[in-house]
Amino acid sequence: MAAVLPLSQERHRAAPKPALLWILGFAAVASCAVTVGLASVNEELYQPALRVLLVSWITLPFIFGGIVAWRRRPDSAFGPLMILAGFATQLSILQWSDQPFLNTIGQLCDLLVAALWLHVFLAYPSGRLAGRPEQVVVIIGYVAAVGLQVVILLLGGFNDRHLLTVVSKQTAAEAVQNVQLLTLTALALIGVVLLWRRWWSLPRWQRRRPAQIVINCFSLSLVMLAALLIAGAFQLPGFEIIRLATFAVAGLAPIAFLAGLLDARLAKGGVGQLMVQLRADPAPDLRELLAQALRDPTLSLIYWLPQYGSWADQDGNSATLPEPNSGRRVTLVRQNGEQIAALVYDATLGEEPELVEAVSAAAGIALENGRLEAELRARLQELHGSRTRVVEAQQNERRRLERDLHDGAQQRLVALALELGLLAEQANADPATQTRLKRARGEIAESLSELRDLARGLHPAVVSGHGLAVALESLVAAAPLEVELKADELPRLPEQFEVAAYYVVSESLTNAAKHAQASRVSVEVRVADDTLIVEIVDDGIGGADSERGTGLRGLADRVEALNGRLRIWSAPGSGTRVRAEIPCG
Amino acid sequence: MRVAIAEDSVLLREGVAQLLTDADIEVTARCGTADELLTRVGIDPPDAVIVDIRLPPTHTDEGMRAALTIRRQYPDVGVLVLSQYVEVGLAMQLLADSAEGVGYLLKDRVSEVKEFVAALHRVANGGSALDPTIVSTMLKRHRSSDPLDSLTPREREVLELMATGASNAGIAESMVITQRAAEKYVSTIFTKLGIPATGSESRRVLAVLLFLRA
Repeated sequence: MAAVLPLSQERHRAAPKPALLWILGFAAVASCAVTVGLASVNEELYQPALRVLLVSWITLPFIFGGIVAWRRRPDSAFGPLMILAGFATQLSILQWSDQPFLNTIGQLCDLLVAALWLHVFLAYPSGRLAGRPEQVVVIIGYVAAVGLQVVILLLGGFNDRHLLTVVSKQTAAEAVQNVQLLTLTALALIGVVLLWRRWWSLPRWQRRRPAQIVINCFSLSLVMLAALLIAGAFQLPGFEIIRLATFAVAGLAPIAFLAGLLDARLAKGGVGQLMVQLRADPAPDLRELLAQALRDPTLSLIYWLPQYGSWADQDGNSATLPEPNSGRRVTLVRQNGEQIAALVYDATLGEEPELVEAVSAAAGIALENGRLEAELRARLQELHGSRTRVVEAQQNERRRLERDLHDGAQQRLVALALELGLLAEQANADPATQTRLKRARGEIAESLSELRDLARGLHPAVVSGHGLAVALESLVAAAPLEVELKADELPRLPEQFEVAAYYVVSESLTNAAKHAQASRVSVEVRVADDTLIVEIVDDGIGGADSERGTGLRGLADRVEALNGRLRIWSAPGSGTRVRAEIPCG
Repeated sequence: MRVAIAEDSVLLREGVAQLLTDADIEVTARCGTADELLTRVGIDPPDAVIVDIRLPPTHTDEGMRAALTIRRQYPDVGVLVLSQYVEVGLAMQLLADSAEGVGYLLKDRVSEVKEFVAALHRVANGGSALDPTIVSTMLKRHRSSDPLDSLTPREREVLELMATGASNAGIAESMVITQRAAEKYVSTIFTKLGIPATGSESRRVLAVLLFLRA
């Protein structure tokens, strides 16, 4: 069995080094220990044990969630953002310290956590802020959380343990703080609206359950944050309780996110199911199965056809890869180092590259089969196209020759015959001259007759000029056997159809008279359901063979070049039935 | 007699005009296209028109359509259609309901000057002129229990002449028999084929054609 090496076409950002992730993990745990230490020396804390627990409850899921996300999706900034949010929480805890420098850092980071939450939630799931409103909200958030915090600290706000106090203007500091808290409250609530607006703008199939839980948790966290900030601004009595509750809820957000990642991993169960389906059905609708396994109904599957140097769909029609930034992503499937197929899917699925690669690996052999089939179909199409072109070119050339004969040699000969006729009228005396003139006219008449037969064999001008019905009437009238013609109310059709039908009837009548020893023939030509149907039945000896007789083979070519079908029933002793069906709609 | 010609080959058009002039026939118009012919016939209707079946621009059925139009709009104008090939189907179309004042001949026939002029006269005077190949083609068809089999060779000859539009006098002249003998042949043929005897020569052309086609 050939090795299947599906590789993603797009260059991914390199995964973070494991050592770095380990360091981050240890740092997270260590920072929790620091928190415990700080809590034990600070005597002002409300419910210190619970606070430590809740801080860790937030910090650890954010950091470890961030580590998992970063490792699994190196392309996305979402992981690093989460890690940042986790450590920012820890830094803000430094305000518990009496040491002036650490205290200053802690105070600076106090509300940075709120801004980072906003950033993380709005950047879900790609790590990028999707729209202008999101970007504005996050930027204002950072300015309010850090910029205004610096101003407050310069004005001597909060306490006297930090280093930033320049002037001590408590009233001004409090005013700025209220502006800051109310601004952040508003941003948190706007953030909730933006989250849901984006959620409902997603296509239905993308609004899956895990993502919905994540969005719900994010929203709840932002609402709690808003409540906490309001409580802080108006110094409501339940502030400490609200703070504990907010922390408790906020810790759920990264856990929900991790659950979502786990779900994507679980979706690999679909890979197993895919393999079972592929074994059960040797000729599956591969696109459909892959769409199911990847849970993207918009997925399309195209194959690389090296002979043509182009992409093609399952039916062999040429296809193209999507443009970058078109909202579609591509994963190339390679086999023995050569690309054989490409999965084109919704860009949001690109957040799960491992799943896409697992699915394309599972479908490897089936994909190779699919490619061969697509190639076969492309070749058939090409063959058909070239046959159509050959028949068309042949017909055009024959029509041109017939026309040249008609307008050239035939007209000149008729004019010459006329000239000789006029001469014969005038040269009244000499009988010898009369005889010779007569013989010359006889020669010309013979030549004209031969030319007429030649021209007629080249192209049935009567068909193009006067339609199939008229031409059939002549054909039947000239046939050396009894013919019953049914061609009533036959509409005019494009020339190629009429000419093909004419040849089918003409050739069949010739065969019936020459080879089949038939005495009676019925010819029926009609149009039904946009199909031109020509049927000729004789009472001859049968035994006609479309593969041997070049006449019948040529007819089949002519009919098939028009996407039609020529069938012949000719059992020995029971007559011959020729039926052509040509779509003409 | 006054005749208009529509033929896109200049050589042939001038040759036919010469032929007509030599036969003391006035050529009222020499046209290269069907439209031109229709215009000229509208302005000055001749006794007959000679029209090539293939005329510009497409060289398909312009001449035929002009012929049918003239037959419909100017019933008094005889129409003689010329073509490089004669088609039974087209003859049937041209003679759809009457063979009066209509002719359909192979182009070659112009070189038989006398016969051609005679045919033109017949058409102009409300008679018919069908190319002999049409009748002989139709006669070649083999049919089971065919009343045609009961005709003698001489009778077949008369039938063919009759179908080309020849008068009894014309038949007599062609076969070198008396006009009375020709009349007798004609009535025998009608009896044998079961065709009701009809008055005019052009009516019996149509009757014979319809019999042969059936």
